[in-house]
Amino acid sequence: MPEEHKAKFAKRQPHSRQGWPAVACTRLVLTTLRMADSVPLPTALTRDARNIPASWLFLGLGGTAIAVYFFLQANAQSVVYVVIGAVSVTAIFVGSTRNLSRRRRLPWYLFGFGLLGQVAGDLVFTFYEVARGREPSSPSLADLFYLISLPLLGAGVFFVLRRVGSMASRDGILDTVVVFSGAGLIQWVFFIDPLTHMAFDSRWVQIAQMAYPAAAVLLLVAVAQLLVGATARVLAYQLLLVSMVLWVAAVEAYSLDIDRYRRGSWIDGIGLAAYVVWGAAALDPSVRGLIRRDRRGLPRLTRTRLALLAAALLAAPAVLVIERMAHHHVHAYAAGIGGAILGVLVLMRLAGLVNSVERARRSERVFRHEAQQAQQLLASQNEQLLELDRLKDEFVSSISHELRTPLTSISGYVEVLLEGETDDERRSHLSIVDRNAHRLLGLVSDLLFAARLQDGRLELDGEDVDLKRVVSHAVESARPRAETGGVHLGTVLVDVPPVSGEPDRLAQLLDNLISNAIKFTPPGGNVTVRLAATDGTVSIEVSDTGIGVPETERERLFERFFRSQTALERQIQGTGLGLHISKAIVEAHGGRIGVDSEEGSGTTFVVELPVAG
Amino acid sequence: MSQQSRRLILCADDDADILSLVSLRLERAGFDVVRVSDGEAALEVLRTQRPAVSVLDVMMPRRTGYEVLAAVRADDSIRDLKVILLSARVQKSDIELGLKAGADAYLAKPFRSDELVATIEELLSS
Repeated sequence: MPEEHKAKFAKRQPHSRQGWPAVACTRLVLTTLRMADSVPLPTALTRDARNIPASWLFLGLGGTAIAVYFFLQANAQSVVYVVIGAVSVTAIFVGSTRNLSRRRRLPWYLFGFGLLGQVAGDLVFTFYEVARGREPSSPSLADLFYLISLPLLGAGVFFVLRRVGSMASRDGILDTVVVFSGAGLIQWVFFIDPLTHMAFDSRWVQIAQMAYPAAAVLLLVAVAQLLVGATARVLAYQLLLVSMVLWVAAVEAYSLDIDRYRRGSWIDGIGLAAYVVWGAAALDPSVRGLIRRDRRGLPRLTRTRLALLAAALLAAPAVLVIERMAHHHVHAYAAGIGGAILGVLVLMRLAGLVNSVERARRSERVFRHEAQQAQQLLASQNEQLLELDRLKDEFVSSISHELRTPLTSISGYVEVLLEGETDDERRSHLSIVDRNAHRLLGLVSDLLFAARLQDGRLELDGEDVDLKRVVSHAVESARPRAETGGVHLGTVLVDVPPVSGEPDRLAQLLDNLISNAIKFTPPGGNVTVRLAATDGTVSIEVSDTGIGVPETERERLFERFFRSQTALERQIQGTGLGLHISKAIVEAHGGRIGVDSEEGSGTTFVVELPVAG
Repeated sequence: MSQQSRRLILCADDDADILSLVSLRLERAGFDVVRVSDGEAALEVLRTQRPAVSVLDVMMPRRTGYEVLAAVRADDSIRDLKVILLSARVQKSDIELGLKAGADAYLAKPFRSDELVATIEELLSS
């Protein structure tokens, strides 16, 4: 084996005329890193990045640089190779520092330092060639850099995935081990074991060379994990996956093609593309979403995951068949042991699946049982509620009965007394008793009505009602009260089409509105009731020139037991039920009630009811 | 008031005050009134004295107004007698129940005396 081919990876940095000291490059990266936290990107880059995402800009520039690379002389190529690598590493540090919070940068710093190791290895190699005119003796400092960098890249992927929790479950770990075993078997048989049969200058050289394909196993596992990982499939994820795949491809291609590799080979393109894409991934703002957990819940047995597991399981037989067909030395032990390990692992995974299916079925049974119990509980509670409802109805009805019976005697006997009384003062006193007995009766009726409204039940008998008659009647029965209060009660009535409803309830509604208007209008004021018909609706307007309703109270006016502040201050009697009941009656008739008022100058209530039919 | 126009009315109510009030009103209107304070007694009077009109309270001991009414309507000898239910139960369902049971009228307490008298006169003339 020729000397220059011994150091497989060191070889891709041959004979650079113009080597930069690795220290300078590292210092540049670290300086930029420090700056990136506090200051914006270099102005040229930010100006362009204002319109185009930094990642695409970087990909474009990188792609151009790679294309140019293939037209250069070998020495220039080696310089450009290092420059592209160094710029990409810088991009990773700058991008992750700008895009990610301090706590989330670790994986990307691992990627950065991993790739920095690669660039450093390249530089060491170049330095030896340029300064000493020879390659570094193997194993060299360059090998150390290269070998340290590969696990760093793998660790970066591990930390990305750990943050989203996909490593946490037994299945996730088992899948990782399965893929690791499959990849390990292939790497051993095709890349590592052949090296044990080659002659090297020293034991250390041999170990160093074997370390590369071994490290590649880690990268393969990382790629596989990334493929099935629970991270959100954002652009940064796609870019990271592509760059990892390119990196592994480059490492494997070098290993397979050691003897024929020359500077400027297509393999360089893959390596450079890996650098650039990696840098672009860190620069893309979507890198923030990479640590967002996928909502689907993992690890799920996705198609990709199944394919990966199948590929790992098939590794052992595939190895045997390929070696047999190529008339190679057959790694029977390796394939046998690897196959057995994989078999056991897949069996464990299968057992886990069966277990979780069993668990799911068990918990489904438990849930179903609980659901049934809940349903029964609900049914019995519903029954209790219905019973309570019935009891409440009974209670309200009997309270009403109990209150009405003494009231019957009071108002009945007062009436008898009034008929026989000729003394004016005593007549006046008896009238007061009579009036208050009637008020009490009205209150009892309203309470009973409101109690039934609270159940949401107001069933109406529908019949055609002539509102003009109802309104006239209501106005006439309110007239004595208006006269007592010194309020002029006027009407503007026209013939209107009939509405469908219950005359008693509509009379109650009118009575409520007119009584209210009279109550809230000072002596000398006017209350006017207007009836009008428009398209499909009949509207009743009750307006007064009373004290008005402040705007703050208008919304609450129809609430149960609501009393306006002015009513309380002026000691205007009422229960706060009238408008509540009125609204319910209007709504039960399919209509609307609204209020318009100006404080100090009057209030207008408008009721709109749909025409019958 | 002539002897012919005096007609017999049964008043049944367990509330003595209301019973007096109703009787007073009816006597002043020129009717003869028999007073009882429970349903059983009411039925007894109905069978023995055949009052032209009965004014029955609904919530009475021993037999409710409904039960007395049902017994009247089931008894061929007295089924044609007029019955008015006078009750403090004023929900629509109560009124419907009373009319369905065969009451000739259903009046709510507190009642208006002129309305009660008018109703009785109307039933007597029909």
